[in-house]
Amino acid sequence: MALINGGHLVGKYLKQVENVDIVFGISGGHIESMLDGFTEYKIRTIDVRHEQAAAMMAHAWSVYTGRPGVCFLTAGPGFTNGLTGIANAYLDNAPMVVLCGRHPLRDDLTGALQELNQMDIVKPMTKWAATCYDTKRIPEYLSIAFRQAMEGRPGPVFLELPPDILNVKVEESQAPKPSRATRKYTVHPDDADLKNAADIINGAKKPLFLGGTGIGFSACAEQLRAFVDKSGIPFMLLNNGRGELPDTHPLSIWDAGNIGMMVTIQQADVIVSAGLRFNWILQSGKIIPPATKLVRIDIDPHEVDRNRTADAGLVGDAGSVLKQLTPLVQKRDHSEWLKTLRAASRSMLDYEIRTRENPSDPIHPIRLAAQIRSVTGEDAMYVADGGDTVYFGLTGFMSKHRAGVIGTSSGLLGCLGTGIPFAMAAKLAYPDRNVVLLNGDGSFGFNSMEFDTMVRHNIPILCVVNNDCAWGMIKHSQELSIGADRLQCSELGTRRYEKMVEGLGGHGEFVTRDEDIVPALERAIASGKPACVNVMTDPTVTSPATPLFYQSLKME
Amino acid sequence: MRFTLLLFILYHILKRAVKKNAAFRSYIGAIHNVRVMIKTADGKRGRVFIFDRGGLKSRSGATHPYDVAIVWSDPGTAFRVLSSQSDEQQFLAAAAGKMKIDGMAFFAQWFNDGVKLVM
Repeated sequence: MALINGGHLVGKYLKQVENVDIVFGISGGHIESMLDGFTEYKIRTIDVRHEQAAAMMAHAWSVYTGRPGVCFLTAGPGFTNGLTGIANAYLDNAPMVVLCGRHPLRDDLTGALQELNQMDIVKPMTKWAATCYDTKRIPEYLSIAFRQAMEGRPGPVFLELPPDILNVKVEESQAPKPSRATRKYTVHPDDADLKNAADIINGAKKPLFLGGTGIGFSACAEQLRAFVDKSGIPFMLLNNGRGELPDTHPLSIWDAGNIGMMVTIQQADVIVSAGLRFNWILQSGKIIPPATKLVRIDIDPHEVDRNRTADAGLVGDAGSVLKQLTPLVQKRDHSEWLKTLRAASRSMLDYEIRTRENPSDPIHPIRLAAQIRSVTGEDAMYVADGGDTVYFGLTGFMSKHRAGVIGTSSGLLGCLGTGIPFAMAAKLAYPDRNVVLLNGDGSFGFNSMEFDTMVRHNIPILCVVNNDCAWGMIKHSQELSIGADRLQCSELGTRRYEKMVEGLGGHGEFVTRDEDIVPALERAIASGKPACVNVMTDPTVTSPATPLFYQSLKME
Repeated sequence: MRFTLLLFILYHILKRAVKKNAAFRSYIGAIHNVRVMIKTADGKRGRVFIFDRGGLKSRSGATHPYDVAIVWSDPGTAFRVLSSQSDEQQFLAAAAGKMKIDGMAFFAQWFNDGVKLVM
């Protein structure tokens, strides 16, 4: 007879069934036996300084590895601290498994420590949430959690594990484990819908392919490459789908930037969109002219006609659909169209290109991003976090890697502070690559204590602070809406963030002149430590994302 | 000359729209001090449109400060493309290098979308 406690059952399931070898969280009394389960089954724990960072790292882990990230939260404030990260993963459709403590069932309604109705709080921001009431059923509940996180449209799930369940022993044979890990099942579109879509694509003169996060979670580089190479369609991969094919692919139009994309969308006669929601960034679909034909691929049938009725809708996993669609599309050469849209975009980006290439005093953030790229190249993993900063990062960086350039705060939650946790997860997933985070000075404040975590766990990322001494996007939006003479709560001071990082055991650099950027970056990388390069940039500069933001909130 | 006249007429159309066209008024809203310049690359001809708290001012000339400038290679192309009121013609002019954007590209699009409301 072999007895095992609930906490160890969790560790054993994670390791032996789902092959989880890393989890993110903070310790807590309510979840002690689960922590011991991680020790017992040799699961690496990254203990952070605020639970939101743990949830964000688990989210990021799913983006970088394609497997659900796992975070653990203790009851009460551990739970509430994690909510921002859970909400962000929910709006990002990221598969994440949250394991959370709670007050003992035994002590319900007695005023127990950290007694809180967590389930009612978390349900609206998770794909699935449950409390386990029986130690023997822990493997079964975990199995459901992983399936719910992965199947169909992915999302975060939440499993509450009370001490009465975690801290008691059961006969192991009475807590059976599933025989294999969760696997992803696919569904396929109807043949008639596929033919309809292919007919539209084959008739296109000026087509454009837009791929979103659904491309990334489908991990469909092979199918996507076959599709674009045969159809000849210029493409742009956005959000967490970026890098599924390299930004440097000859048909990728990332060199045209977001502005080029917006202009091209308005000129294309056919748009093929895969795994991409038409949200506010795309003006809820209104940016697409009425006459443009639209082929829409999505794993969620509810998305196919959302905000814009599709001319052909294909429901299924992006890779699976593209694999079926490719034999039906004709071999085409759209190089003239590609040349035209590139040339037009270049004219629209004339200012940005000149800014990139020329030093300025004070330093322009576009120039800063270009200088970073000149040091770390296309082999690095890039993360951008902030308001305007995310625009400068997304348009300034190029990577040859899957999810190689991620604008973590440009998701639907617009969640600042995500950059540091994402960069940490990227470094853990790809320890041999340089991981570079371009962080706004405002957003840096949310999770900068995680430099302590990086030092303790040896996670040497390079964080470059684009320091304009303000919540830049808000400040510049206020200049448009309420006037430059009435700015409110949007300005920050000149702060030596790099000294804070040095104090935590990392490497710090402070830069005010263009010629000092590259040497400072090189020293930071050579240090081998988590590094912060604090760069003072032009506080008057704003990005095209700011007026878009302003416009989206203008109500009359 | 035709280009300069076109910009002058455009100013008066927009000025009238600010007062009479509810859709345009709503579109520009109370935005503070957005300056859109349309000019030729040689800097000899141009006009700046200044949107400020629901009002519109304009000045002739290409040397005024701006947030965004739509810069045309020559006045003839500018007149032909602008008077066509065609997005595609603008796109093709950009592709041919005859129109460039200097500064905040978003405001160029914002301005063009506003003009469409009154034309």
